[in-house]
Amino acid sequence: MEQFLQATINGLLQGGLYALVGVGFSLVWGVIHVVNIAHGAFVILGAYVAWKLDGAFGIDPLLGLVVAAVLLFVIGYAVQRGVINLVINAPIWMTLLLTFGLELLLVNGLILIFTGDYRSIATSYASGGLSFGDVRIPYGRLLAFGLAVLLTGLLAMFMSRSKTGQAINATGMDRVTARLMGINARHIYALTFAISAALAGAAGTMVGIVGTFNPVDAGVFTLRSFVIAVLGGLGNMWGALAGGIVLGLVEAWSGQYLSGTLIHAIGFGVLILVLIVRPTGLLGRPYSEARAET
Amino acid sequence: MAESAARSTRIPQPSSPAGWILVGLGAAGFAYLLYAPVLLLESFLRTLGGVFMFATLALAWNIIGGFAGYASFGNVVFFGLGGYTVATLMAKAGWTFWPALVVAGAVGVLFAVLMGLPILRLRGHYFAIATLSVAEGMREIVVNMPSLTGGGAGITIPAVGLEATTSYPGNTGFYYFFLILLLVALAVTWRVSRSRFGYSLRAIHQDEDSAAALGINTTRAKVAAFALSGLLTALTGAIYAFQQVTIYPNRLFSIEFTVLMVVMAVIGGTGTIFGPVVGAVGLQFLSEYLRQNYLELHTVLFGAIIILAVIFLPNGIVESARELRSTKRIRFLDNVKANRL
Repeated sequence: MEQFLQATINGLLQGGLYALVGVGFSLVWGVIHVVNIAHGAFVILGAYVAWKLDGAFGIDPLLGLVVAAVLLFVIGYAVQRGVINLVINAPIWMTLLLTFGLELLLVNGLILIFTGDYRSIATSYASGGLSFGDVRIPYGRLLAFGLAVLLTGLLAMFMSRSKTGQAINATGMDRVTARLMGINARHIYALTFAISAALAGAAGTMVGIVGTFNPVDAGVFTLRSFVIAVLGGLGNMWGALAGGIVLGLVEAWSGQYLSGTLIHAIGFGVLILVLIVRPTGLLGRPYSEARAET
Repeated sequence: MAESAARSTRIPQPSSPAGWILVGLGAAGFAYLLYAPVLLLESFLRTLGGVFMFATLALAWNIIGGFAGYASFGNVVFFGLGGYTVATLMAKAGWTFWPALVVAGAVGVLFAVLMGLPILRLRGHYFAIATLSVAEGMREIVVNMPSLTGGGAGITIPAVGLEATTSYPGNTGFYYFFLILLLVALAVTWRVSRSRFGYSLRAIHQDEDSAAALGINTTRAKVAAFALSGLLTALTGAIYAFQQVTIYPNRLFSIEFTVLMVVMAVIGGTGTIFGPVVGAVGLQFLSEYLRQNYLELHTVLFGAIIILAVIFLPNGIVESARELRSTKRIRFLDNVKANRL
């Protein structure tokens, strides 16, 4: 029972972090209709930025997180404005290929610079934890979870309350009409992608604080983002949080009973099942219908 | 998307002088390829075999992706299944290669139908993500079934000595295997391109609802296209596995294969007959050149090339060549303007 409880808590906390990884991916897919295969590479890039700042200048990872997010924001804006916007009306496999090319570039660039060794960001506080009987809650994971919920909440509020957020929503729903209303779609797309990249950078820093990372992990984070976005419904912030937590719990529970890497197969199984049975995600999808998408 | 599909329905006129020149060149090239093993180095034969293999894979992807417009990002699942069927039957059950190859093809078709029936109902990105997940999930299953598949440590086909059930064909043998398979794939594509079935697929690509309204059984057409794609891909995987002797799930189910199939088809020209072959030839030689000259940087450069090709050659080489013939110029910037925001 305690083992199960511990697995549940681990899954819940890990799920929060997954949500932070996936929420930006979901936003981009929902608004720009681009499946960003390079999203996982952005996560890893964020982790390396914070790791390097910590290692070279002794900057606290929590401050490094802000730097990573800002840097990724700038990179994301430039990539969307300068590259992805150029193929936005091409068939979907073009944007898939484009972002895959970007992923190859980033991941192999990172391997060239930092090698493929596993790294982690050491902090004085992440290793401690609360204990309730035999159940333990590490501070690092709690921090990651809290930050994920906070950022998701802020993003949801930004999207629904601010004028810019509403412009993003409007562009996602109907780009042509949004442009007629005076919205600069090129800027809005770039901004959306930049926010997504910034969140990925923040998530990457937390990934580095609670565990290890290397460039090749990028693919796994992208795949998890697929699951989270589809589970939660595209462009749905709270849906992404729910999707992340479901994925975290499913992985933690199946990890108790299944060996090795079979838990990844479970993730894909859940994804395919949801796609087939309920393609609008657990909490529904605010944009157009999944099966009518062209 | 609809526009590019409409253009790809144009069929080259074989009766024009240029058409006959092409036919003549094709025949000469084919004769050369048949005699090539006598003329060329073994190592170059192996490279050529690889080119034929990727051309076949790109042609197979073109049937579901280019004609029907369903962007499968998991076609490597058929490749891996074909390879593992042959490897398992030869290593564990002592089969010879040829019956194992037939079973591999059947497995490809069967899996495409079983997977296609539920998944081909999804459109756009959802289909792409679902196929990708099936491929990744299948890899994990293969890794976690070590008693049957050898798991992550791989499985070795007995290829030499008394253990061997079929003697190893060597570089020349595999050269011919891949060449024959490529010709089969070309013939299939040519046949599909001109058949009622091919037009159904193009109609689905342009507007699936209208196609259904016109009386096309869209489900049947899509599943058939997927099965055909799966068959050719599984056969390729089967031959590849025998060539490699020892195969690993991370290699045989690698997403890189899927991406290469798509990139080659796109760079050559989706929905055309020769486009995927042109793309495969160009990209394989380029990739080989980069690997030899820029060992460390070659994957980074490859990523950059994909990005540039997608932006500047979105209609593919074949379409751009046609454009060059009719308008005497390639409008790179017009291509960009057509797709940008």
